Amino acid sequence: MTTTAPPRTPTPAVQREPRPVPAWRRGLRPYVLSIPAVLIIVGILYPFVLGAYYAFLNYAAVVRRPVFIGLANFAEILSDPAFWTSVRVTLHYAVAATVVETVLGIGIALLLNRSTLIGRIFERVLILPLMIAPVIAGVIWGLMFNPQYGVLNYVLGLGSTFDWLGEGTAIWSVILVDVWIYTPFVAILVLAGIRSLPKEPFEASAVDGASWFYMFRRLMLPMMWPYILVAVIFRFMDCLKIFDHVFVLTAGGPGDATRTLQIGAYQNSIIQLQYSQGSTYMFLLWAIVFLTARYLVSVLGKAQRRAAGSEE
Amino acid sequence: MTRRELWNPTRRDLLRMFGVGGAAVGASSLLAACGLGTGGGESSTENGAAEVTGGFDWRKAEGTEISVLQTPHPYQVAFQPLLAEFTELTGITVKADLVAEADYFTRLNTELASGAGNYDAFMTGAYFIWTYGPPGWMEDLKPWLQNSSATNPDYDFEDIYEGLRRSTSWDFQVGSPLGTGGQWAIPWGFETNVLCYNKTEFDRRGIRPAETFDDLIQLATDLTDRASNKYGIAFRGSRSWATIHPGFMTQFTREGCKDYEKQGDQLQATMNSPQAVDFTRKWVELARSAGPTSWTNYEYPDCTGDLGAGTAMMVYDADSATYPQNIAGNSAQAGNLAWHPGPAGADGSYDTNLWTWSLAMNSASQKKLAAWLFIQWATGKDAQTKAVQTGQAGFADPTRQSVFDGAFKQTLGNFPGYQETFEKVIASTDIKFTPQTQFFETTEEWAVALQDIYAGQDAKTRLDALAAANTTAVNRAS
Repeated sequence: MTTTAPPRTPTPAVQREPRPVPAWRRGLRPYVLSIPAVLIIVGILYPFVLGAYYAFLNYAAVVRRPVFIGLANFAEILSDPAFWTSVRVTLHYAVAATVVETVLGIGIALLLNRSTLIGRIFERVLILPLMIAPVIAGVIWGLMFNPQYGVLNYVLGLGSTFDWLGEGTAIWSVILVDVWIYTPFVAILVLAGIRSLPKEPFEASAVDGASWFYMFRRLMLPMMWPYILVAVIFRFMDCLKIFDHVFVLTAGGPGDATRTLQIGAYQNSIIQLQYSQGSTYMFLLWAIVFLTARYLVSVLGKAQRRAAGSEE
Repeated sequence: MTRRELWNPTRRDLLRMFGVGGAAVGASSLLAACGLGTGGGESSTENGAAEVTGGFDWRKAEGTEISVLQTPHPYQVAFQPLLAEFTELTGITVKADLVAEADYFTRLNTELASGAGNYDAFMTGAYFIWTYGPPGWMEDLKPWLQNSSATNPDYDFEDIYEGLRRSTSWDFQVGSPLGTGGQWAIPWGFETNVLCYNKTEFDRRGIRPAETFDDLIQLATDLTDRASNKYGIAFRGSRSWATIHPGFMTQFTREGCKDYEKQGDQLQATMNSPQAVDFTRKWVELARSAGPTSWTNYEYPDCTGDLGAGTAMMVYDADSATYPQNIAGNSAQAGNLAWHPGPAGADGSYDTNLWTWSLAMNSASQKKLAAWLFIQWATGKDAQTKAVQTGQAGFADPTRQSVFDGAFKQTLGNFPGYQETFEKVIASTDIKFTPQTQFFETTEEWAVALQDIYAGQDAKTRLDALAAANTTAVNRAS
């Protein structure tokens, strides 16, 4: 004979009254919650405003008492051919580097999308340049570029007479280094985008006998466009602010051939101790970056809406 | 209890929050006023020499720790092991911070501009005095030298070569020569800019160094063989003020050229005079036909490295930079190098531009006596003699005549021509630039002009533009 235990009625959970928050903690909360705002004000807005303010002074190491001079720094810099050379160099660099990195990045991402052993190994190797500080990359490439003992001229059979960092070649050489460092970044971003795409449209197209190129052009590319644009925005913004490996390789030379806006600002502020002129350079660079970013982000928004299927 | 009950801020709460934010911003302003990140502006510190009274005693600042900002250099390396002796002598501890030369002056600018006095003493070049001095960032050391309570009676300041003493002294007035005004730094080590050549190769070919500039161009061109990766002469060409001051400025001066002339109360740039244009054209042509392929990126380690590797046959740069290449084990060509003053000018001039690493005091230092005792010890006869004798990479060149004539000459057995070269140029060695506060801006622009001419621009046109821009810059109201 078996006996069954009577069903146990579950004991109701003890309903605890929430402990009242002490008054001192209630009083402290507004201040704690305002810490992020204060940090933004102190850490970002204050230096920015101060830097912008310097652009309106004649502040330099040799000026004993800086005074407000209005727009004189802007007038001086905007009328200086060297500034416009820097703008041209910066835009040349940014456009060329971004285009090459985007095209190569998409190509590499498409290759890596095929899951093969070599692809998986290459995927790991690909990120190595991203792990190297750009300054170190500049030093390494500087050694390789050297015509006297660099490996590039030796491997390419150029002898000791081809100058990678000479007039006419320097800008392309520093772009090459940028491409080497940052193409993996674009490739990884695009690869993540490819792998997040739905499979059904591709399977349906394959059943209909569509070619690989047709599928890439008509299906993959429109859906990947937001990811590509994110990569483009990141790279273009970074390229506008480029400094490190360019400075290591050429210091802006020969002449002004690689003098980007950041290098101009550095030379004004740090080498020549013309703080106000350096701040003016940076303020103008900020304006360029800000306006470009606004435009690119609006383009990205449209692309995302199109990719999601909503028409403008 | 709802979220709303937990925090339902009143207008008073919000005002308090803004008060906190405002206080934070106010605190930032206070930091800025103290010089954090904004530059301290003009220093208003008093010279501290007058506070030192009584008899001289090395132990007057016993128990103090001073911070010294330095850059890695054979001079610094030679002195590093001797710091313990200084501590033993004075009871002062030295905390030396090292910053690589590429970043050194950036760091130094920031430190001095902050006015915080984090470093009591620092290494500096003479040209930097022209920038750091006017804002009052440097202590005038003349009162310290003149105070017998602060300076050892055996110090013998006049033992330091006169050109060096003059080069580190200026009154900051436009057009005033060097040697006027305060003594802003004490020369510690220095270099004359002369020619170093591969003697073994010269002997094999049966040739001698050139005595005129035109002969130097011919000789360097003849020695250049690009197919064998050998070229005639290395000198700096990078986009930096440092390209101008060694070989270029030395030969520029020997050829009778000047950088500026005083006209009334203003300076007029003269690097576009007919002689200067002619010389610059030849100099750039020399770089093109007999210099390193990547001349526009060449700094002194590249030049001396190529000399040591046997790629460059000659180097026109600092004697102290080529000196280590001849020390056994330092380079492939060690033991094969020799020195020569370089080409004389048309009038036989051996005018030579110098660079000096000097020791200076931060005017914002709170430990000025201890800092002065350190500077005085490091630039004194005993310490410099020991540095010469024990420095692993050498200590070329000591700034004191007694040390050069004594301990240093004994190290020169395997350095053919070094002593003769030094003795030939020393009497006419000092800073050949006209002192002016915009030195770095204007001299870097000069280097840019050389690069532009190297790239094919017309020398006369480019130098005219440079002279116009530099005339404006040096007379800019300060």
